[in-house]
Amino acid sequence: MASEKDPRRITALLAVLVAAVVVALGLAACGGGGDSGINGGDTESEEVKLEKKASGDVTISNWPLYIDKQTVPDFEKETGVSVKYIEDVNANEEFFAKMDPLLKQGESGGRSLFVVTDWMANKMHELGYLQNFDKSALPNFEKNLVSNLREPSYDPQREFSAPWQSGMTGIIVRKDLAPDVKSICDLFDPKYKGKVEMLNELRDTVPLVMKCLGIDPTNASEDDWTKAIDKIKSAAESGQIRRFTGNDYGADLTSGNAVAVIGWSGDAVQLQADNPNIEWRMPTEGCILWSDNMVIPIGAPNPTAAEAFIDYVYDPENQAQIEAYVNYVSPVNGVKDVLLKDEPEIAKNQLIFPSDSFTKNCTIQPSPDAEEEQNLNRAFNAVLNG
Amino acid sequence: MRRRVVPYFLLGPGAAWLLLFFVVPLYYLFELSLNSGVFGSYEFSWHWANYNDALSLYDTQFVRSFKYAGLATVFALLLAYPLAYTIAFKAGRWRNVLLFAVVAPFFTTYLIRTLAWETILSDQSPVVSVLDAVGLAPEGRALATGGAVVAGLTYNFLPFMVLPIYASLERIDVRLIEAGKDLYASASQTFFRVTLPLSAPGVVAGTLLTFIPASGDYVNAQFLGSASNQMIGNVIQSLYLKQSDYPAAAALSFVLMAAILILVLIYIRFAGSEALMGEEAV
Repeated sequence: MASEKDPRRITALLAVLVAAVVVALGLAACGGGGDSGINGGDTESEEVKLEKKASGDVTISNWPLYIDKQTVPDFEKETGVSVKYIEDVNANEEFFAKMDPLLKQGESGGRSLFVVTDWMANKMHELGYLQNFDKSALPNFEKNLVSNLREPSYDPQREFSAPWQSGMTGIIVRKDLAPDVKSICDLFDPKYKGKVEMLNELRDTVPLVMKCLGIDPTNASEDDWTKAIDKIKSAAESGQIRRFTGNDYGADLTSGNAVAVIGWSGDAVQLQADNPNIEWRMPTEGCILWSDNMVIPIGAPNPTAAEAFIDYVYDPENQAQIEAYVNYVSPVNGVKDVLLKDEPEIAKNQLIFPSDSFTKNCTIQPSPDAEEEQNLNRAFNAVLNG
Repeated sequence: MRRRVVPYFLLGPGAAWLLLFFVVPLYYLFELSLNSGVFGSYEFSWHWANYNDALSLYDTQFVRSFKYAGLATVFALLLAYPLAYTIAFKAGRWRNVLLFAVVAPFFTTYLIRTLAWETILSDQSPVVSVLDAVGLAPEGRALATGGAVVAGLTYNFLPFMVLPIYASLERIDVRLIEAGKDLYASASQTFFRVTLPLSAPGVVAGTLLTFIPASGDYVNAQFLGSASNQMIGNVIQSLYLKQSDYPAAAALSFVLMAAILILVLIYIRFAGSEALMGEEAV
């Protein structure tokens, strides 16, 4: 065993490690050179180049459990396009972290279409990561998109984003344990100390709390955002808020660990179906309305097939099939009529087909200005991480 | 000549692995930690202020992480030593069964094991009513407290404590223990002057294998803790995936690595590096 202490061996080992570091530095230097490519801030996007007829392969990235089992095979059968459908979008920021290095090089990692929330679609567009649609291949989209989603502030002509599903952020309660929670302000009632949960999403939780403070989240200033974050902070520190969650609040509601949470309408439909004691409450202050959008990234192979898919899901018959499974709010006109025949329960559900009066106090999801975003994100996450 | 080449040849695969999956990523991480700018357009600029920020903004979570990891290590040691001792010296033909029982939880993934604790400690569970009755659940709940996080960490890293201690106990030459008794030492004297020192390498290895991963853990705090129980791993995760502040996340990771390294060096100094080196010290 004595030979193990031979100093020459240790020198040799060090030499190998040093060599390793040198090689690594060399590799890194090579990697650093590829920054050119797409220029940030260039909002003049190119339009996709279409072929006459959709064919070949197409890869679509979407959020988990956001489509029924039949739509993709039906689309393949109708068009002859072969679809690789992957459910790899779990959070906007996380998906961006994964895609950013590729998109910077003008590549999409083989994806022809993916689905992100409004503010992320806006951000990607600002970075020059998205292509404009060729509307000539999107007759259904042009005809059937619901009117209140036709002119979002970030894409007033709907040139690069097509809503996949919309939804509401509001309150979900255990009606047996928290019967009188009706507003966002009620979530701060000491009676429910340690039994309230809020979403760990800046753009869902903070605007709702602004509403409780009487601030209109649309065009809110950095000060307004900060005021709401401070209110959440004191509630977190006092123990009023049990914890901040993603959609795992469902488990806590079911077990009774939480009795009132800030949550999403589609989840509420599912949770209500499984447990009659769970119920959506439209906050008296109103809800937050958001959409997830299909976008075509730069470098997307086969954009023709991607547009064919967009147009396919904008056919009310096809959309009804997705809607019956997903239970969020459909962006397609005419779906309700289709479902009234086959699935009247779904067609009459206010959470899936909300009437104008139901959402009258609701606000389109706001997003802070780019300059304010970093500070507000930091302040909000400081609350989440105590 | 050949004798001198063979060791390098044997070293090759391991060194290549380390190079590709540790040194290279570490370099990129370091470069990233010195970037500045806003989300979407980070640029390399020797921005050392990221390190100042990491230390000044997140000192609370650092202290909390080391506190939780330290407590979990102590509890794991208190649970693991008697267990390992029993398996090594008293278990007889049950030895393999007990060893298997220690390792068995690893057949389920880490995440699922942690989520199971959500159910075990759920507010309505009998465990919590018992804890409440003996005054260990002050607000009538166990979940979403620091105690739950420490319990989760202790549970998840227990096997890392048991196995090294078992391995060092099992290697002890029983004649040394018998010699202690022959020389009129009491049972406790034999234990403290013969068995415990001989098993020190296992204890040191076990505490390191528990403390280091526990300090950087974020799963337990995320599922079992509340906002005021989040650890430094949660901060890094939220900086990277929620705030998209990659430079700050990278700088914080380096600070964490450095902090753990310093703590470990102090500990090894204190515990004696001979103990860590094992047999050579004997």
